Amino acid sequence: MTITIGLPSKGRMKDDASAIFEKAGMKIVAVGNDRSYRGRVEGFEDVEIAFLSASEISREIGNGTVDFGVTGEDLVREGLADADARVEIAARLGFGRADVVVAVPEIWLDVETMADLGDVAAEFRARHGRRLAIATKYWRLTQQHFSGSHGIQLYRIVESLGATEGAPAAGQADIIVDITSTGSTLVANHLKVLSDGVILRSEACLVRARKQEHEGNATVAKIIEAVRGVV
Amino acid sequence: MPLIDMPDFAPAILDEFSRRNTTRVDTPVIQPAEPFLDMAGEDLRRRIFLTENERGESLCLRPEFTIPVCLRHIETATGTPKRYAYLGEVFRQRREGANEFYQAGLEDLGDTDAATADARIVADALACLQTVLPSHAFAVTIGDQAVFEAVVAALGLPVGWQRRLVRAFGQTDVLEAIIARLARPQPVAGLSPEVERMLEAGDDAGLAAHLRDEMERTGYLTNASRAPEEIVRRLKEKRLLAGASLDSAKLDALKEFLSINVSLRYAPGVLSDFARSAALPLEAAIAGFDARVAALRDAGASLADITWRAAFGRPLDYYTGLVFEVTVRGEHDVLIGGGRYDRMLTLLGAKDHIPAVGFSMWLDRIQKAKGGAAIRKVEAGFRTQSPRKSGELR
Repeated sequence: MTITIGLPSKGRMKDDASAIFEKAGMKIVAVGNDRSYRGRVEGFEDVEIAFLSASEISREIGNGTVDFGVTGEDLVREGLADADARVEIAARLGFGRADVVVAVPEIWLDVETMADLGDVAAEFRARHGRRLAIATKYWRLTQQHFSGSHGIQLYRIVESLGATEGAPAAGQADIIVDITSTGSTLVANHLKVLSDGVILRSEACLVRARKQEHEGNATVAKIIEAVRGVV
Repeated sequence: MPLIDMPDFAPAILDEFSRRNTTRVDTPVIQPAEPFLDMAGEDLRRRIFLTENERGESLCLRPEFTIPVCLRHIETATGTPKRYAYLGEVFRQRREGANEFYQAGLEDLGDTDAATADARIVADALACLQTVLPSHAFAVTIGDQAVFEAVVAALGLPVGWQRRLVRAFGQTDVLEAIIARLARPQPVAGLSPEVERMLEAGDDAGLAAHLRDEMERTGYLTNASRAPEEIVRRLKEKRLLAGASLDSAKLDALKEFLSINVSLRYAPGVLSDFARSAALPLEAAIAGFDARVAALRDAGASLADITWRAAFGRPLDYYTGLVFEVTVRGEHDVLIGGGRYDRMLTLLGAKDHIPAVGFSMWLDRIQKAKGGAAIRKVEAGFRTQSPRKSGELR
């Protein structure tokens, strides 16, 4: 059986992922030229590399079309329903760290916690004739955090595919759920993270599709062991 | 529509409805999604079938009838009181069970005698079910948002805390977390000395002006979201909340109330004993509760089959009083869910306050019960005794 590993196709993520695999004794070489979207691993005849975009990787692992992938935990948990049943986080790789957070305007002096936000959301409709609007691209994580963990039902998600942090100042939404690594973009946009507003501490992970045929497969075990040994 | 899978007992239910002074309504299967998401919250999004038209407006396959029936009532402005009946397919993404199935139900709009209307709707629900399942025994569980709100109000907490508790009603975990926090006060931290000074001095206007300046300086629109005055008002309210806690006697009373689970035959006695022993002034709520029990008895309902569970509620802001569920005795499948939703019609845009109470019958589950199969495994979130999941419509 050939084991396929999906790796980011460009940027920092690609370089960092390649570096980890090389450290683990699995040097990745492109098949054909440098810009090829296929690769192989020196010394591992039964492993192939598929270079994909980060969001495709989580989807492909979810579908089981690749066996492993390197991608952000945020994309896995946002992209897949029942993520833990379908995939396993085999190793946390220590790069690509970023948090998915709930952030509100700094000027909301009365809002420090999700409980405060629950109060505001409950009254919002009566005061403004509409529900509290959250700009985000993280539909699933937002719902889980608000409805599942904090019992807040009454809000609306406004889909935001970019420059989410600017939405509150521009009046497109009241608050945001977004990913942040240093928090500097939030500060620059006069937003603050709620004290219990960290939804997920994400980083790049080696993620395995839960597949029956992986059981007892020596290559699968070897890949996990090799990567775990260097992180 | 594949009418071929319509349960064969559907005509019997429609007969029952037509004997009950109702107007049969149908609504389009494709509905604007906005009112459903607005009423039930974002959580509903992954449980309905959504699509878009070419103008980008969200549409969904009808996930239930109450909202479309109410919208239609508002549009046609036919006046109240009015009783509507429906029977048709609804569409939901369910982990177990088919994604399209039939529901039938009644919506009773505009009757200002809440106790009588409540009792009539419960009696109607049971009678319709009995027609289809003549040889089954049923168990009815009722809850009452109004009684819970009265208990919370009587505990003497600041309004902000009352609202938090009321909002969590029906969500066991959330409610427990709030009650745990009520045992210890929480200070408000992180305010600048300037803000503290204005709060201490009661300078609301000065503080609002300060916030307005800050918003302008940081490029925030002052009219798009929360206004400075709103933030000031809640900041003051929050400082009150921070100092508030419940003494252990009152905390115990609240917990004791939530643990009440008693046959309706004894419920009025249990409720008045509770009020007396906890020394809480609940006269108005008790009167409303007792009036409903009396009306149920008058309507011929068997009180022995009805249980009042004080913690039973639905965490949606349009429910105001009675909620109820009917199962086959000893089974978990909820065959009928219903309740009073006095706030819904104004939320949907009605100009006048219109009291409303209704129920829906899950015809697929009734079919199963009729088939005699003991279906104990049910869809998550719809079990009688389990904490309610969010986004539940009924």
